[in-house]
Amino acid sequence: MEHGILSSLLITLQPVNVLACFIGAVIGTLVGVLPGLGPAAAMALVLPLTLKLGPTAGLIMLAGIYYGAMYGGSTTSILVNVPGEPASVVTTLDGYAMARKGRAGAALAIAAIASFVAGTFSVIALQLFAPLLARSALAFGPAEYFALTVLGIVLLSNMSGRSRIKSLLMMMIGLMLSTIGMDPVGAVERFSFGIVSAQGGVSFIAVTTGLFGVAEVLSFMTEKKKEVELAPVKFRELYPSREELKRSAAPMARGSVLGFLIGLLPGPAATIAAFSSYGFERRISKRKREFGEGAIEGVAGPEAANNAAAGGAMVPLLSLGLPFTPTTAVLLGGMLLHGITPGPLLMRDQPDVFWAVIGSFYLGNVMLLILNLPLVGVFARVVRIAPQYLMPTVLILCVIGAYGDNSNLFDVWVMLGAGVAGYLMRRYGYEPAPLVVGLVLGTVMERSLRQTMIISRGEIGGLWDSPLSAIILLTAMVAAIVPGPLRYLRMKLRARAMQITRGR
Amino acid sequence: MTTRKEIISTLVLLLFGAGYLAYCTEYPMDTWNNPGPSVFPLFVGGVFVLLAFGRLIQSLWSRKTEEQQENVQPTKRPLRVSRPLILVGSFILYVLLIQWAGFFVSTVAFVFTSSRLMGAEGWARPLALGIGVDLFCYWVFESWLKLSLPKGLLF
Repeated sequence: MEHGILSSLLITLQPVNVLACFIGAVIGTLVGVLPGLGPAAAMALVLPLTLKLGPTAGLIMLAGIYYGAMYGGSTTSILVNVPGEPASVVTTLDGYAMARKGRAGAALAIAAIASFVAGTFSVIALQLFAPLLARSALAFGPAEYFALTVLGIVLLSNMSGRSRIKSLLMMMIGLMLSTIGMDPVGAVERFSFGIVSAQGGVSFIAVTTGLFGVAEVLSFMTEKKKEVELAPVKFRELYPSREELKRSAAPMARGSVLGFLIGLLPGPAATIAAFSSYGFERRISKRKREFGEGAIEGVAGPEAANNAAAGGAMVPLLSLGLPFTPTTAVLLGGMLLHGITPGPLLMRDQPDVFWAVIGSFYLGNVMLLILNLPLVGVFARVVRIAPQYLMPTVLILCVIGAYGDNSNLFDVWVMLGAGVAGYLMRRYGYEPAPLVVGLVLGTVMERSLRQTMIISRGEIGGLWDSPLSAIILLTAMVAAIVPGPLRYLRMKLRARAMQITRGR
Repeated sequence: MTTRKEIISTLVLLLFGAGYLAYCTEYPMDTWNNPGPSVFPLFVGGVFVLLAFGRLIQSLWSRKTEEQQENVQPTKRPLRVSRPLILVGSFILYVLLIQWAGFFVSTVAFVFTSSRLMGAEGWARPLALGIGVDLFCYWVFESWLKLSLPKGLLF
């Protein structure tokens, strides 16, 4: 453990890694500030650039964007009542109310401190949890990996928090896309329709930049956005009062623990964590009436929770290779592009990368605190950049991102197709994130399934012969079946309760 | 989203799944001892079709319930769909233009057009943006990262 902390910090403190962390944190903060463009899109855009940096610095930059966005999202929530990303929606309730009372500086400072405290807590917890989980996962063979991907797909089908069947359909499309190109066992060409560029498979970068970046621009064009008003904030106003600090301490601690635990579960963890923390703080507060009117607890708790959830979501990613959020799905894609397979073997085979990413979390949290407090006014002004100038720039970055992966225009066409599909998906209520998860897990799933069948000499029972894979598959089955009857029961109970009320 | 749209979108997915499944048969299944390249796609395609069918039944069921509740009024939201279509059209032209005019010339033209399409006024600012984006791309990607962007007849 000590070796882990020391070595992680030493690797992270190499100049190139520090620079990568800084650039990632700045991009992340800007992305968090800008409404619409999420961290997943920004990470997809930066992926080609990270390939030039090498695996360690590249992944540190991607991780920087991930947690930088969590910090940045709160700035616009407080100053302009526009959440930069969904996890910061709840911060608008009390953060913006504080800004209207002239306490914008204090709210921003508390949000930054809460993010720092929670970020640091989640890094320490991540260092404890991830190796434990990874060690137990070392016993994994192809059958266990197949079972794990099945479990992942079942659990992640609730990623969007909306229709489960729609998420599953999107995941299946992702799995279908992963079958394009050479098959992972026999190297037989599939679904390439004679196109040479498609023989290597569908470019992950082209699909993600299209689904998130291009689709975002197309969606922007169908909606009219309002002009934003910026609440003024001065540097000397950034200091919260002693009373405010005292009131924030406990919500920060509770939000950190709650957020980290929620982050371990699949779904929109950061958003759920922020709302849960807000609800919890409100329930236990002696000043319930102040909530919604500018209660500092309503800023400290949710901000701590959404940052801790970001750290928690890294546990299943680094130790099992399972992305539980759209952003970690893109991060997983980035790792695979760098030739790194996250999972139980990551710590053993590439300890430098594992510990450097963890170390970058420490460094990133310090950098973000330093960046966010004095430069908060500058970042907040970014929200005023006119979309008619920002969106064309985003489109060109998408083109370069898609083209740069394999240096061919075919990927740009794929990106455009994915962009149009992503736009239609949004309009018809389908989330793009599960598709990315399917695309990422597809190859692992197919390879492990076919390897298991070869090892078991065609016996289908080979998939659940080992106790570990049987337990995992059983869990997947329970997770797939239980929500349906539960929902039905809940509906029945609600209907009965309504009947009783009407009868009275 | 209205139930009608839901049904149409699910039918499109169902057709897509059926097409995918049909195409899977082009590849060998081989044996259970050594499964061939079509096994996994067939499995995925099968699950996809089942899910799409399930979704279709769900949508049809909810339509029936909606019809029974007479007071259900579909909420209509004005959407400006023509502009994304024009943007997609100009994007297609842009990618085609890249092949003979090169990345840098076509990018200035595309940024100018898309910026105007998104509501930018006048020609000076969109043009300056196009040139600025070009210079940025040249400096960062061509000079610094040594990424060779597509060249055409001119540049």
